Amino acid sequence: MLPRIVAAIILVVAVAAVAFWYLTMPRPLDAAALSQYGPGDAKRGERIFWLSGCSSCHARPKSTGDARLQLAGGLELKTAFGIFVAPNISSDKKDGIGSWTIADFANALKRGIAPDGSHLYPAFPYASYSRMKPRDISDLFAFLKTLPPVAGKAPPHKINFPFNIRRGIGLWQLLYLKDTPYVRLPENASAQAKAGQYLVEGPGHCGECHTPRSFLGGMKPDEWLAGAPNPSGKGSIPNITPGKGGIGDWSEKDIAYFLESGFTPDFDSVGGEMVDVQQNIAKLPASDRDAIAAYLKAIPPLPGAYTDTRDSGH
Amino acid sequence: MKKFAAAFAVLALSAGVAHAADDPIAIRKDLMDANGAAAAVSAGLLKGEIPYNPVVAKEAIMTLRGVAHAYGSFFPAGSDKGNTKASPKIWQDAAGFQAALTKFRTAADAAAKASGKGGPADLAAFKAAITPVLGNCAACHRDYRLK
Repeated sequence: MLPRIVAAIILVVAVAAVAFWYLTMPRPLDAAALSQYGPGDAKRGERIFWLSGCSSCHARPKSTGDARLQLAGGLELKTAFGIFVAPNISSDKKDGIGSWTIADFANALKRGIAPDGSHLYPAFPYASYSRMKPRDISDLFAFLKTLPPVAGKAPPHKINFPFNIRRGIGLWQLLYLKDTPYVRLPENASAQAKAGQYLVEGPGHCGECHTPRSFLGGMKPDEWLAGAPNPSGKGSIPNITPGKGGIGDWSEKDIAYFLESGFTPDFDSVGGEMVDVQQNIAKLPASDRDAIAAYLKAIPPLPGAYTDTRDSGH
Repeated sequence: MKKFAAAFAVLALSAGVAHAADDPIAIRKDLMDANGAAAAVSAGLLKGEIPYNPVVAKEAIMTLRGVAHAYGSFFPAGSDKGNTKASPKIWQDAAGFQAALTKFRTAADAAAKASGKGGPADLAAFKAAITPVLGNCAACHRDYRLK
């Protein structure tokens, strides 16, 4: 007979283990949800591709021109949790996602789970993509299928303990994986601003860099787009709300022009990781850039906790 | 001794003021401000907000070219510290930074050559000349400026 205290400890550990197992179970889309994913239109999907910035992480690092469409992966994201390496998402059947079904693809974007049921790290921005419309996901999937297969797997992630235990991501998803809006727009917000909300909060995943994160790596909704430290090193990501230190003195036209040309109102140019993002957004129809601008003028103005964006230091 | 130290401190302070004029960080900011103003004129012309004028167009090109030739001289060792957003990569990857500067200079020289004595004849000629020059702003800021 075990001493009672040992028996009690064993019981507590067992209950905790069962709770952990239950709470971290993958939660895929059900059949009713999956029925909304029809055959996509590749032509429409190209817009979603640039909007979602797939190539910024999944194209071979430093590639230019048409090579941006070879989604071999390999880009390293160095974070406090370890180094994430963007995987191959080309149409290669063995090393890419060429053998995925639309259900696999939808579960990755909406629920953060891989075809084998394991959790994906949220370095893949599914905490934003979860807001995407099924039709846009189907269209994007159709477009990705038109891109060339590239052989060769990207190297594995190098993640620190305890974050290397993938099952634990299930807890993160319970906390942070939602498909509701990050901000509540004013009642009288324009249709354009509402369209921009979808583009920014969903496929555009702007908050992933421009919103500061909690110590667990979740975006803080009460500091939405108010700027953040640069996760990949020195410097900071600017506040893009209309608040102090933000872009309140930019007009909608200024914002749209910046996204089109890469020039700020005082003709500083875009820099850092935003160069890729801006060049992707420049490929969208002007109406998308106008919608993003309308949304950014309509969100709550917040004082940024990080450095002013307009000091054009060199 | 105390007096000496105080006098030395004053001397050091005034030396600091005297050297502010050749503070490389301040100079490179001024040069980039000149670039920014030239880019603003260029965009104004391209968007039709400023009526096209070949002399004005040439002035923008020549400003960018002047900066392109001078800019690389203001990154001495140690000038990565201070009120600057220059990326440490400028010093870590000096060859890459030089290559980026060379691209900028080459594009600006070509634009200057194309603009001739009186400046680019029309807006189409200006657009063809200036676009490759302006492309260098983001290309270089992507890797060599912190933001």
